[in-house]
Amino acid sequence: MTLLLIASLFLPLFPLSIVLNGALTTLRHPAARGAVLLLWPQLGIGLLQIAQHAIPPYFVPWALLTSGLYALRLLTVRDMGRWAGFLATSGLALTWALAAAGADRVDLHLFAFWFSLPPALMALLAYPLTRRFGAAYAGLQGGLIGHLPRLSGVLAVTALAAVATPPFPGFFGLLHVLQVLDWVGAVAVLAIWLIWGWAATKLMQGFIFGAERMESDADIGRASTLAFAGMLGVFIAAGLYSTGGGL
Amino acid sequence: MSLELGRRLNIRATVHVAGEPIPFFWPMRTFIHHNPLYGLEHLPFEQAVSEGERLFHARGFLPRPIQQGYLASGKIDLVALEDQVERFLAAQPDIAGLDQRRLLMTLLTEIEKPIGVPPSLADAADVHAALAGFALPARKIDDAALAAQVGADMPPGRPLYAIVDMLFGTEIGATLDELVIKSCLDFFDEGQSVWQMPGREKGLFAAWTAVAQRNLRLFIRGLHIKRILAADNTPEGIISHVMEALGVPEDDWKNHFACELTRLHGWAGFIRWRAGAKHYHWSRHYPADLVDYLAIRLVLGLALLREHAQRKGLPDTLTGLARFVEAHPAEAYLRREFHGGHVLPEMAHAVEDAIAAPRGSRIARLLPQYLARKREHEAKGLAAALRRLADKAGMTNAIQRLGPEDLARLMSTLARFEQAEGRMWLGALEARTMDRLLQGMDLSQPVQREKRPFAQLMFCIDVRSERIRRHLEKIGDCQTFGIAGFFGIPVSFIGLEKGSETHLCPVVASPKNVVLELAIARSVDEQAFVSSLEQVLHELKASVLSPFITVEAIGLLFGFDMFGKSLAPLAYSRWRQRLHPNKSDSRLLLDKLSREQADSIIRSLQRALIVKAIVRELGLQREAITDGMIRELRETALGNRESSTEFARHFNLDTRAESTFIARLRTVYRIDRGYAQMQMERLGRIGFTLDEQLNFVGTALRSIGLIEGFSRFVLLVGHGSTSENNPYESALDCGACGGNHGIVNARVLAQIANKSAVREGLRGQGIDIPDDTWFVPAFHNTTTDRIQLHDMDLLPPSHLVYVDRLSSNLQSATRLSAAERMPTLEPESDGVDPAKAYRTAQRNASDWSQVRPEWGLSRNAGCVIGRRHLTEQMNLEGRVFLQSYDYRLDPKGRLLENILSGALVVGQWINMEHYFSTVDNEHYGSGSKVYHNVAGRFGVMTGNLSDLRTGLPAQTVLKNGVPYHEPMRLLTFIDAPFDLARRAIEGVVKVKNLVYNGWVRMAIVDPETGICHLYEDGGWRQHVMGTDSTSEEFKELAA
Repeated sequence: MTLLLIASLFLPLFPLSIVLNGALTTLRHPAARGAVLLLWPQLGIGLLQIAQHAIPPYFVPWALLTSGLYALRLLTVRDMGRWAGFLATSGLALTWALAAAGADRVDLHLFAFWFSLPPALMALLAYPLTRRFGAAYAGLQGGLIGHLPRLSGVLAVTALAAVATPPFPGFFGLLHVLQVLDWVGAVAVLAIWLIWGWAATKLMQGFIFGAERMESDADIGRASTLAFAGMLGVFIAAGLYSTGGGL
Repeated sequence: MSLELGRRLNIRATVHVAGEPIPFFWPMRTFIHHNPLYGLEHLPFEQAVSEGERLFHARGFLPRPIQQGYLASGKIDLVALEDQVERFLAAQPDIAGLDQRRLLMTLLTEIEKPIGVPPSLADAADVHAALAGFALPARKIDDAALAAQVGADMPPGRPLYAIVDMLFGTEIGATLDELVIKSCLDFFDEGQSVWQMPGREKGLFAAWTAVAQRNLRLFIRGLHIKRILAADNTPEGIISHVMEALGVPEDDWKNHFACELTRLHGWAGFIRWRAGAKHYHWSRHYPADLVDYLAIRLVLGLALLREHAQRKGLPDTLTGLARFVEAHPAEAYLRREFHGGHVLPEMAHAVEDAIAAPRGSRIARLLPQYLARKREHEAKGLAAALRRLADKAGMTNAIQRLGPEDLARLMSTLARFEQAEGRMWLGALEARTMDRLLQGMDLSQPVQREKRPFAQLMFCIDVRSERIRRHLEKIGDCQTFGIAGFFGIPVSFIGLEKGSETHLCPVVASPKNVVLELAIARSVDEQAFVSSLEQVLHELKASVLSPFITVEAIGLLFGFDMFGKSLAPLAYSRWRQRLHPNKSDSRLLLDKLSREQADSIIRSLQRALIVKAIVRELGLQREAITDGMIRELRETALGNRESSTEFARHFNLDTRAESTFIARLRTVYRIDRGYAQMQMERLGRIGFTLDEQLNFVGTALRSIGLIEGFSRFVLLVGHGSTSENNPYESALDCGACGGNHGIVNARVLAQIANKSAVREGLRGQGIDIPDDTWFVPAFHNTTTDRIQLHDMDLLPPSHLVYVDRLSSNLQSATRLSAAERMPTLEPESDGVDPAKAYRTAQRNASDWSQVRPEWGLSRNAGCVIGRRHLTEQMNLEGRVFLQSYDYRLDPKGRLLENILSGALVVGQWINMEHYFSTVDNEHYGSGSKVYHNVAGRFGVMTGNLSDLRTGLPAQTVLKNGVPYHEPMRLLTFIDAPFDLARRAIEGVVKVKNLVYNGWVRMAIVDPETGICHLYEDGGWRQHVMGTDSTSEEFKELAA
């Protein structure tokens, strides 16, 4: 049980999730944030394997509650780094639903990866924004689409990946979660998914559209754009490959 | 409660005065180019631009990087720019050891990013420390300073909701705008909506009140409109009530009203224009004015504020807000920083958390840290900018050596300089263009022609006429003239099958005379079939349910239309044109009618209506009725005889049926004595007396200097444009004809000038038009450059042999002109042959996806009022208005005064419209056409809900996002002796103000002395023009 509780620090459940988000806030370097987002949940799944303990039934509602709370919190957060952390927390908490249903180790690792890579990319994307505008804060510098079209494009697609829109693997992972939950749980997950979409729209509105207060016109380079696009392309392909067989 | 009359009048007057700076917005059907700052033309140009910045939040000059691009491409005169900097520095304090001239020139020409507004927290000592790399000196910023910063954003008159939005991040302003726009769309709709707003005939405020009180959506949102409206039943009373409820001191009402009205200045401008347009059908039937509009805004604004106050505990009076700022200066400051867009980005999250926290302790903890960081940020930012500037100027050490006092002086100078740099760039841009034009002008005396030209053509002064005039003059033996496109005849025109009058003259004039177009012959059946089909399609699309079925049933037809228009626009448009019957030939009714003639016209109209009534009401055929029966029915309806008509007896109508029919003739078909009398009065406005006709022709010819040497053909070329799917089509038409095609005015003048009685009269005035001279109206399509001759059936047989030569000349000029224009529209068409260019131009005119069918008047720069000889050898690239004028025929300057008050004023409006639409397309222009939607059939909005977009779209003035139009004030040249021209300028108050306030750059080119007189910096300066040299000598003259 202790191991399970420790695992709930890494597959964050409220209030233990505060640790992950605190760490993300403290870390300044975007690469470090990205690395934490990618590795942290994988440690949690490793602990679950070690625990060899059946997951008590109350963990699933606890996970749904955590996911819902962080989804709602997303609606009011404008700092992109924090937003990525909260979204990851909200998504990763759902791993418990799969784990409770007895999903195998690989599925769990992949699920955690589907919900941590896009937030990690968003944490990285906060860097060019911070460098240009002093902060990656929605609403402070709107109208990026007109001046920084490449950055806007990458940002929009990454946000879509992060909120599990098809054909990104998060979407198929979410379908898997719906399959293992009862109808009440499924409705709750759908509601959470809806809130993610709403929150992402609000965030993008604050960056890509919105009022224009440009202080920098330098877009990200072609190489960076291609790197992000390539990563997202591979992400989709990997998702389709690994989830397609399972469905 | 109802206000006293005096009080109400006072409020009305205040609202109207507050609305003065808002420019009129004409319906898009007749787009009128106008100065967006027309209401501020009484101020000097720069002052008006600053006021425009304040009122409309718009930029008045191009940003520096674009100006630097102009400088690099040689469009800006560097010497003139340096001269401007010198003049600026003359009024600035000296700073020892610093070459300010070099520093400022470097700032202008080598630094793209402005240094920006002075810092709000950092002072010169801080910047000095930052420059030296030291820590910032310790300094405490007290609450009073913070409150003062917040107070600076709360000037008297700023609406309370705007301040609440700024401090609390609410979006009351945006919501209010949305609600107001929806209300306006409902009321002002001109047939776009299928279901109309009820009660519109009672006026805007009354109709809106009736609907708003029953509006469930508003009620659900918590907006208790009813309670506010209960205070008074007049808009003035409501305005007074709301202003008192908000606690706005009465002295600030005017400013407050101005802020409210300028917030949606497109709608306010439309309402302002509409209220004064007495001839406008929609305003006559559905009246509205700014007072109604303002009352609605204020009611909704107060309701929204109260709703927020109730829900979130925000202040809903000015006093309450002032108390809040006074009691919580730190919170107010941080709120303003965050919601007002001033927050330090890296602390945005911390500030947001602090102001959202219920306790003030977080704010108290955060504030010192925030102030310190922001002060440091500002000081370092400014120091870095100064260091960059100094490095570029090679003055790094000089800047480093400055003490805090000198640094403070320098910072103030730089701030003032960046405020003033726009006008410096503008002056230098104008100087280069003016210089080029002056150098190209031929000041020698024109050589007398040996024989008369083959044809003379009178074109509109429009800049688009210049190209085709130049080609015509080169190709054929043609002489061309420029005259305002309405040819000096203000006409109120009623076209074929049109029920309303169109004013064909500049909007500054109101025509007294009506010209009626009458058909010679027409195919009624064909016409009826096509119009019925169109009517049916329209009904199917517009009704509530039928579109569901229409899509299934005939959707494919529309698909065919779409493919045709998209894939082969030119061929498809020609095919479609063949479906429509040709417009029947017509004549214009130009002569005044005698009483008998008018009586006869009314009689024949009444007869036609009676026949229609019999066919419609009784189902009888025309052939069953005799003229006698119709006459008898008419007399009965007019009350000249008792009933019991032959008609009733013949068709066995009993007395009751007969009386009912006669009553319907009176009420429905308006066959009654009163209406006949009204028709008689209206007919009295038709046509011109012989004296008027003589005067119009004589003045037109004298004003352009054509009183002898008439050719066989004198073409009067009106102009207009054709394009598809383009709400701005009329912006490309003739501005002098009120945004309409100019062909009607050309036909009117030609018809008058060809009359023998008129020519006889003209001979008496010394204008001897030979018998073989024939005035031919023609239409210049500026999109395709095609010139089409009209009324050719009236041409004397003796001229027919020359028509081929005339047509081929016109066609060649058309193609050459298209070949010159097309590369500017489509870069890939560089070097196309003229025929291909012409085809491309035709395609542009019929392509519904073409957002830029032509450049219109973009790149207009100058206006030359003088003989063609002056500019005949120059390629003016379609950038100059050319008004023909011969001062030798105008010893008193009266003709020049007319030209200045008409053509120049219209030219200046066009010029300013382009200027402001270019320098700030989002605010003064209308943004991209791609997002436009037609609103209510009279305007366009961006997206589905926005202010009415005024000004020109981006596609008209920008190319690839950068200005295509070079924004400068109209450079006007008058070819006349200095004293005569100066007297004429000073003789027209409007023109005098435009020139002396710097809205127009004026140069008088004196042909008798060869000296050019420029009006600059409040005085006339001489510019001695050498024939082969560019040397200049300026002498100050007493203004």
